[in-house]
Amino acid sequence: MTSVPKRLGVKFNLKREPALAAADIVPIFQRWIQEHTVAGMLIDVIDYKHVPEGPGVILIADEGDYAYDFGDGEIGLHYIRKRDLPGDMQAALRLAFRLALQAALCLEAEAPGDIEFDFSRAKISFLDRQRFRNEASRFVALQAEISAMLAEFYDCPVALERAYADPRLAFALRAAAQNGDGQALLERLQA
Amino acid sequence: MSAWREQLADRIPAEMANLIDTFEAQVELRKQGKLDEKVFAEQRLRKGAYGQRYDNGQRHDGLRTRELSYPSGGLVKGPDTLWDAPGMQRIKIPYGGLTAEQLEVLSELADEYADGILHITTRQDIQLHYVHIDDTPDLMRRLAAVGITTQEACGNSVRNITACTLAGVCHDEVFDVSPYADAMTRFLLDHDDVQDFGRKFKVAFSGCAGHACGLVKMHDLGLLAQTREIAGETKRGFTVFVGGGLGTVPQQAKVLADFVTEEQVLPLAQAVARVFARLGEKKNRNRARIKFLVSKLGIDEFRREVQAELETVPHDERHTAYLDRLGDFAYQPAKAGLALNGRPLPAGFSDWYRTNVYQQAQRGYSAITLNTPLGDFTSMQGFQLAEIARRYVGDNIRLSVEQNIVLRWVADADLPAIYRELRAIGLADAGAGTIVDITTCPGTDTCKLGIASSRGLTAELRARLIERINLLPDAVRELKIKVSGCFNSCGQHHVADIGFFGNSRRSGNHKMPHFQVVLGGQWRENAGSYGLAVGAVPAKNIPAALEALTKRYVAERADGEVFQSWVKNLGRKEIKAMLQPLMKLPSFEDQPEYFSDWGDSRVYTIDDIGVGECAGEVVSLFSLEIARAESAHFEALLALDEGDFPLVDQQAYKAMVLAARALVRTKYLDVGDDYGNIVKEFRSRFYDTELVYDRFAKGKFARYLFKRHSQPPARVGEDYAHQLIDETQLFIENVHSAEQRINGVIVS
Repeated sequence: MTSVPKRLGVKFNLKREPALAAADIVPIFQRWIQEHTVAGMLIDVIDYKHVPEGPGVILIADEGDYAYDFGDGEIGLHYIRKRDLPGDMQAALRLAFRLALQAALCLEAEAPGDIEFDFSRAKISFLDRQRFRNEASRFVALQAEISAMLAEFYDCPVALERAYADPRLAFALRAAAQNGDGQALLERLQA
Repeated sequence: MSAWREQLADRIPAEMANLIDTFEAQVELRKQGKLDEKVFAEQRLRKGAYGQRYDNGQRHDGLRTRELSYPSGGLVKGPDTLWDAPGMQRIKIPYGGLTAEQLEVLSELADEYADGILHITTRQDIQLHYVHIDDTPDLMRRLAAVGITTQEACGNSVRNITACTLAGVCHDEVFDVSPYADAMTRFLLDHDDVQDFGRKFKVAFSGCAGHACGLVKMHDLGLLAQTREIAGETKRGFTVFVGGGLGTVPQQAKVLADFVTEEQVLPLAQAVARVFARLGEKKNRNRARIKFLVSKLGIDEFRREVQAELETVPHDERHTAYLDRLGDFAYQPAKAGLALNGRPLPAGFSDWYRTNVYQQAQRGYSAITLNTPLGDFTSMQGFQLAEIARRYVGDNIRLSVEQNIVLRWVADADLPAIYRELRAIGLADAGAGTIVDITTCPGTDTCKLGIASSRGLTAELRARLIERINLLPDAVRELKIKVSGCFNSCGQHHVADIGFFGNSRRSGNHKMPHFQVVLGGQWRENAGSYGLAVGAVPAKNIPAALEALTKRYVAERADGEVFQSWVKNLGRKEIKAMLQPLMKLPSFEDQPEYFSDWGDSRVYTIDDIGVGECAGEVVSLFSLEIARAESAHFEALLALDEGDFPLVDQQAYKAMVLAARALVRTKYLDVGDDYGNIVKEFRSRFYDTELVYDRFAKGKFARYLFKRHSQPPARVGEDYAHQLIDETQLFIENVHSAEQRINGVIVS
C-alpha cells in the first residue's frame, strides 16, 4: 500500500480572473469562521496577497488550510491537509479533494457568475520530501495508482502529469479529466 | 526514531544532534505530563519555538469569543499555551549570511511545516509561522544538516548576532566585521556563561560609524570596527557599546570601551555576559535587560565590574583561534567582475538600478537589494532565488535588518540579466531603502502582544506610496517609515523618520485601533537618536496623517534640511496641532469603518472582555481627567524640546499623577488633589488589587509612577528626561487600558 504524505494539497483553479479583488476574500473567509462555512476547526485569516504568486489569503484551520491561492500564476482554491490524514492514499485523496471542492463551491456561491472553477483540472501536492521525492521514477511508480483513484472520483479517465520537473520542489501532479461538474464530483466523493 | 533523524544522522554535528534529540525527548516528556510546563516553555523558546496569537485557545471572531478546541485538549506547551495551537519558529541566520543550499532547505521547511511563506525579521532571522510543535525537532534537524541552528533563537539567551549587510563590500567600512560576527556567534552559542540571563541579550557588529546598517547603539552589546596604531602596527579592534535597546523604554547604548583589540573582543563579551548573569535582574523580567543593569550601576561602575570579571575569565583557545582563520572568510564571486556598458537595458531597469544597486568597493561588482514586501517571500521564490544566486553570485546571499535580501558580488555586466530574472519571480521591485520599503513587525497577524495591525497598515501605506512613487519629491522618497504593532518596538519605530506603534482608544462603548505617531528618529549613525511620540491617531487616519506630514515637510523645509531637523524646528506643539483634526474619535454609529483595523473586516477588539455596566457620566469624567494627563505629558514633550529638563520632570510627574487620579476618581470621587493621597489611593485600589495590571507587563507601568513619586531625581539630565517621558506615555496607555477593562461596557 502506498504511504501517504505528511501534507496533501489539492488546488482547483478558476476558469478566468474574477472581478472580485483578493482583498474581498478576507471578509469572506472571516465570515466563514463566524458561520463555520467549511469543515475543520477554523482559526484565523492571514493575508499574503502582497506576495507575488503566493498563497494569497489563507483561512488557517487546525486540520488543514484553505487558501485563495496565486501559486504558479494561477488563481485557485488550494486546500492543504496538514493533520489526521487517513492512512491509505485513496482515502487521503478523497478527503482532500472533497474539502477543497466544498470550499471552492462555497466560494462560487459568494460571487455567482464571477468566481467559477474549472473542476476538471486539479493540482495535487505531496508536501513530504521524505516519502515523496520529486523524481521521474516516483511519478512512474505512482501514476497508474493515482490515476485509477481519480478516475473513480471523476467517473472517467484522468490524465496525470508531473507538475514540476525541478527535483527541489515538492512532488506534485496535474490531473485533467473530461468531467468538470463540481456537484456531481462532490456527490461521488461523499458517497 | 524519526525518518529524518535516521536519514540525516551523518550530516548533523554530534553536539547539535544531541541538543535536538534532547529537545525531542522533552517534547515527549511534556506530552506525557512528566515535564513541567514552565520548564518546557523555556526549553522550546531556547530552540526558537515561539507561541503565536490565539494559542490560549480563544479568538474573537468579530461576533463573539470562540473557544478553539484543539485535539490535544488541555495539554499545554507552556502557561496558557495549548499544544496544538500553531506556533512560530524563529531561525537564526548569523549576520544574515545564507548559502543557496540553506535557502533551499528553508524553502522546503516553509512548504512542509508552515504556510509557504518565509518572513525576514528586523534582526536578520527567518521566521516560519503556523508551525506545529510536534514538527519542530525534524525541522531543526533539516536545518542543522545545512549548518543552521535555532538554538537560542528565543528565550533568555544570546539572540541572533547581526551585522551590516554590506560588510566586506562596503566603501566606508573600517574592515569586514562578518568573520568577527561569525566567531562570536560560534563562541557564545550554548556557552555556559550565557545560560543564566534574566532576559534576552542582543549583539550587533558594524563596520563604520556613519551608516545605519549595524545599529550598534540600540543593542545590548554593540561592536563598532576601529583600527589603532599600537607599537607601530595597525591593529584591528572595536569600540564596544553596552546597554542599548528599544523595547518599551528605548535607551542609547553607552561606550564600555573606546577600543579593544580583536584578541580581546571575545573575552570581553564573555566578561560582559558573566556580569549580566551575576548582577542582572532575574525576578522582574520587565527590568531584566542589561540596559537596566547599566543604568542602575552607572556605566563607570559597570565598566569596573566587567574589568574585574575579565580577570577571572579562564583562558580559552577559542578567544583568538578564529583569528588564524580570518582568511578563510574570503568571498568567492561566482563570476568575474565586468563593467556594465553598452548593453540594452530592460524596461524598469533604471528605476531599480537607482534604488536597489550598490556599487561595491570591489571594482566591477555590485550588491543588489531584493525588496521583499513586509519581509515576506514564498517558498517557490526561495527555490527560484537560490538557483539565480548559484548562477550569478554563488553563496553570497544576506538578509538585511530592513527585511530585504541582498545579493552581493553581482558582476556589473550581469545586472540587466539578473534584473530580468528577478523580475520574472517578483523580486525586482524598485524602491529599496526608500519610503515604500517599510519595515514592520508581525503585529496582530500572529504576535500575541500585537495591539494594532502593523502589517495591515504597512500593506496599505506601501500600496498607496508605490502608486505615487515617481511623483514624490526626493525628500519624501528618502524617508524611512517603520511600524510596530505595539510599544515593544520590534518594528524599530523609534529609529525611523516616521514611526508608528499600535495602541487603542475608546469611543463610546467601542475600542478603536490607533497608532501612536513617533517622529524624528535617526536611522543613520547606527540608530543615532530615537524619536518621540507626538500623539495617537486612529489607524484609518494614518495615511492622511502621513500625507499631511510629508506635504508640509516638502512645502516648508529649508534647502537640504532633513526630516529630523524639520521636526525639531517645527516643534511638537505645531505638529500636534497639525494632526489634531485627524485625532478626533468618530462614533461607532457614524463611522463604523474606523472600528475595524487595516486588512481586517472584524469589528476591532484587543481582548475578549465584556464586563459590567458603565455610567456614561463616569466615562465622561474619566475622559476629561485623562485628557488633562495627556496635556501635561505634552507639556513635558515641549519642555524637552526646549531643553528644560527639570520642567520635563515636573510635567511628566504631574501627567502620571493626573492619569492615576483619573482612574481613582472612577471609584473614589473625593480623592482630592494631593499627590501623595492620589498615589496612595491608586496603589491600594488598582495596583495591590492588580486591577491595573497589564496582561503581559503586569504592574510594570504603575511602578513607573511609584518610582518617580518616591524617588524624585536629585538632578535631571537629558537621558533621564527622555526616559521619564516614555515611561509616562506608557503609564497613560496603561491607565486607558485599565479603565476600559474595569469600567467599560466594551462590546468590541
